Amino acid sequence: MTESEQNNIFGKWLQQHKGQIFKVIRAYAATTMDQDDLFQEIMIQVWHSIPTFREESSVNTWVYRIALNTAIKWVGKEQKYAKSRESLDTVQAVLQEAKVPPDERLNWLYQEIHKLDEIDRSITLLLLDGFSYKEMASMLGITESNVGVKINRIKKQLIARSKQLNPYGI
Amino acid sequence: MEFDELQKIWDSQNQRPMYMINEDALHNRIHTKKAKASHITNASEWLLMVVNAGAGCVLFGLTASKAGSTIFMYLLAGWMLITALAVLVSRIRRLQRENRFDRSLVGELDHAIAMTTYQVRLSQLMRWNNLPIALLIIAGLLEGGKPLWFAFALVIFFILVNFASGWEHRFYQSRKLELETLQRKLQQG
Repeated sequence: MTESEQNNIFGKWLQQHKGQIFKVIRAYAATTMDQDDLFQEIMIQVWHSIPTFREESSVNTWVYRIALNTAIKWVGKEQKYAKSRESLDTVQAVLQEAKVPPDERLNWLYQEIHKLDEIDRSITLLLLDGFSYKEMASMLGITESNVGVKINRIKKQLIARSKQLNPYGI
Repeated sequence: MEFDELQKIWDSQNQRPMYMINEDALHNRIHTKKAKASHITNASEWLLMVVNAGAGCVLFGLTASKAGSTIFMYLLAGWMLITALAVLVSRIRRLQRENRFDRSLVGELDHAIAMTTYQVRLSQLMRWNNLPIALLIIAGLLEGGKPLWFAFALVIFFILVNFASGWEHRFYQSRKLELETLQRKLQQG
């Protein structure tokens, strides 16, 4: 595959699947600077993955899987080396927040997702985006029954929190 | 609130633009960063091979051409060449294992753990490798009639090198521990 072909595929994938990637970024990185950094990291991994894509899964699943795997590994690394990263003053920002009125209910949901650990966050995103247990098991490399146990626990946790605290009048 | 309601909140964002991408900046960043992708391990291996092989060959040549050279300098040259060879063999074995991992999260974590384990071993090997090198150099210098303070200064130098190598080793070990914790979380219910 030539670099120009790889760039064309990358551009197409980015246009079609950026919505999924943004959800992962927002769930894993809190600040604008971190979101920008994680976005770049995911984009690099997606770019590198193009020659190895064998169409055994849909592009959507493939991109989502890479985004989640990168985000999970990025979290630990990021917390530890946040201070040593390049300052935004020296790097041109790649990602800018769109100027839309904030949705308080959605912000609350992202805050709750952010409180989960790295693995549970990925399962929550996959669940909310409609992936089946089978697809989740394949993406995560664990059994369907293990996925089921985790989802059951996460659902109970999120429902309980929504009942405990309802600051936005949901 | 039931889960269906949470689902509706989640789905509402599909109609909203969350971010805007500066495509030129993204293109530039990818091209800057992609060269660094398999970076540190690759660079460490090449550095160790070139430095050890180069220093071993030069030392061997200098020792052979100089009358009255000690056995310790020959041993040191041999040790450095063996180290370069050992790193080369490790590198070949690492590259052969590269494609054995699938792209599931477990597979990616296994891969990352295997890479970090390799880095831990390599850094440990290099740390302990300082000891025979230090002993051979000091023995060679003393036998060659160099003053005792010079050997003492070298001992201090090698202690500092060992301390720096230990820092590098602990860095990889803590990364490995983080990845293993993630793997455990994934396997648990």
